[in-house]
Amino acid sequence: MKQDKVLLSVKRLSVNFFAEDAVLEAVQDVSFSIRKGQTFALVGESGCGKTTTALSIMQLLPAGQSKIVSGEIIFENQDLLKLSEKQMRRIRGNRITLISQEPMTSLNPVHKAGSQIAEAIRLHQNKNAKQAWADMVEMLRRVGIAEPEQTACAYPHQLSGGMQQRVMIAMAASCKPALLIADEPTTALDATIQVQILSLLDRLQKEIGMSILLVTHDLGVVYKRADVVAVMYASRIVEKAPKGQLFAEPFHPYTQGLMQSLPRLGVSVKRLQTILGAVPDPLHFPAGCKFHPRCPIGRKDRRCQTVEPELKEVQPGRSVACWYAPGCVTNNQIRNTKIN
Amino acid sequence: MNKKTEEKNWKLSYSQMIWRRFTKSRLNLACLIFVLFLFLLAVFAPFIANDKPFVIRIDGKFYFPLLRNLQPSDYCIFLAAALTVWYLLRRTPNGGKLNIKNQISKLQCKIQKGMPDSRYSNFAFLYVILLFAFLFLIFVLIFVFVPRRLDAVDYKEMVASGKATDAIFAPVPYGYARTELASCRQPPSRRHWLGTDDVGADVLCRLIHGSRISLSVGFVAVGISVCLGVLVGAILGYFGGWIDFVGMRFVEIMMAVPVFFLIITITAFFPRSFLNIMIIIGVTGWTSNARFIRAEFFKLRRQDFVQAAVSLGLPLRSILFRHILPNAVTPVLVNATFGISSAIFIEAALSFLGFGVAPPTPSWGQILSLGVSTSGRFLWWLTLFPGLAIFFTVMAYNVIGEGLRDATDPRLSKAV
Repeated sequence: MKQDKVLLSVKRLSVNFFAEDAVLEAVQDVSFSIRKGQTFALVGESGCGKTTTALSIMQLLPAGQSKIVSGEIIFENQDLLKLSEKQMRRIRGNRITLISQEPMTSLNPVHKAGSQIAEAIRLHQNKNAKQAWADMVEMLRRVGIAEPEQTACAYPHQLSGGMQQRVMIAMAASCKPALLIADEPTTALDATIQVQILSLLDRLQKEIGMSILLVTHDLGVVYKRADVVAVMYASRIVEKAPKGQLFAEPFHPYTQGLMQSLPRLGVSVKRLQTILGAVPDPLHFPAGCKFHPRCPIGRKDRRCQTVEPELKEVQPGRSVACWYAPGCVTNNQIRNTKIN
Repeated sequence: MNKKTEEKNWKLSYSQMIWRRFTKSRLNLACLIFVLFLFLLAVFAPFIANDKPFVIRIDGKFYFPLLRNLQPSDYCIFLAAALTVWYLLRRTPNGGKLNIKNQISKLQCKIQKGMPDSRYSNFAFLYVILLFAFLFLIFVLIFVFVPRRLDAVDYKEMVASGKATDAIFAPVPYGYARTELASCRQPPSRRHWLGTDDVGADVLCRLIHGSRISLSVGFVAVGISVCLGVLVGAILGYFGGWIDFVGMRFVEIMMAVPVFFLIITITAFFPRSFLNIMIIIGVTGWTSNARFIRAEFFKLRRQDFVQAAVSLGLPLRSILFRHILPNAVTPVLVNATFGISSAIFIEAALSFLGFGVAPPTPSWGQILSLGVSTSGRFLWWLTLFPGLAIFFTVMAYNVIGEGLRDATDPRLSKAV
């Protein structure tokens, strides 16, 4: 992997949330890197820390309640965690942008849709009002809005959900960012609109040459869009692999469980498999591998119940955090971790 | 029937909806009309009550003493009123009742095709600067060139003695500062409809001119307190944490101070000017606005659209005042209406106690105080009429405030 092609690399990021008297480890030791033009998907259940990871890249975590405990976020050769708020503001909305889950509530109800996009263009590209407005109209046309001038003058509540998401995408893409973080971009939309939005993202990515960090729980979306996938479970990345390999042969028992719970076209199954149990309470994570209470192997294995496996590269480009993943277990490692 | 009106409501803008709910009550409408009437009275006071005639012929020549005796403050009030009217007409939302304005804006939209939002027109900023420069110039011109002294000519005397003819006087032909000791402390009569005070000035005339003081005190003081309150409340509510904690304790300390006595103390230190009173009332009254705005910002700052604005890298100024404030302004508007009535009340009370504006300038509270203090005799007309004026004005503002509060309250609208 060449260093210069890497756009963003997150190294050993840990984020804590502070509840009234408890500390909640929302993200633990998460590392990944995104290359230019790549789509990187972060998959996991609700509350597994994928949105927190995305927000900490933007440094949008709620100030009083959370803290980035350790780690580095290197974006375009600078550590975002060391930047001042002012420098960060220049990156937000310009080099890194965010599409959020709820387009309905992410547009300000008192402003016209177009003026919200134009404000960002004016701010980041030093354009005057007229040029910004023209750029904005052009951008709306590019995201597939048929009558961009009319839509620009409409208030958010006058637009449909799909239109709102298109406006949000136009807003995010208007400054030609290097990285677009899409936090569940299709969750709130109908299935037909989902497909349109995904292909729109695809087209924009090719035109602008940006990378996308796709945060989702929808494996269908991942299958359609991602290049590399990281599966998160209980604050950690448990498996990281190129999409094709992951879907063909998942290594981690959790990923396997996810795949088995998917309905497949052409294969008739009486009853879909589910993963036993429920997601652990983030205040009381189980000892050892956090997946062990739900894992067919881990439930019986002492090592899984006591020692947490690290994320290890088992094949070029594939990493898994499981003692039983192929190529993962070596006696040395076991001895070392036991001593520790 | 109910369903039909609800369906209709979808097509209305927010302001239209509020307007419709507000005008459902006749009392609200009557109070609004009363306040507008007071405004007209205040703005055109020199044309309604003045001892100078509009036109007079002296030795065969026509003179216009009333126009020549307008003060710089009069011109400023006319200008302010004209700007307000222009602004209100300009801001009429699409589909409003002012069709002419609508047509013009549509025309402008066609001319600047593809750029329909005037905020983003290239010249908007320049226009604003030019407008302010122009206004400033006008104010300078007014203050430099308009004479500030009234001429001492008694035109009525001239008409009576036959020196002048063809005089047209204002409906209330008395000056508010004119003393006429021969006819002091007269009860209402055909000459003086509401009687005269202890120096012989006409009470009706002084009431009309006094409405200017009352209304401008109300508006300017509330303007100051709203600006301060919004600024403080926005910062406290948006940042929260220890800033909010310290700030709110300060606000609570301010609220614990008995404001009226504070104002009386402060007025004792400063010269008795109309401007000082407005500033003092404004500076002491911002706390409730700050609390309202803080609560709203607290609620709104975690909203997705605020997060979206932050994620776009917008500066703090824009996030606070362009993205959050317009969503938070309704309770402050309602509160401001009550604030106006209480400011009028405080001003009247101050003037009653003798801490208000200095005597030749008329004020309702001051006239009121004359009714009891001077000769031991109770001069009922000096107490009753300004008392009624204060009462009705304060009541009208309170009714309007309550009407606005009900109209903007979504829970009440569903119950109807």
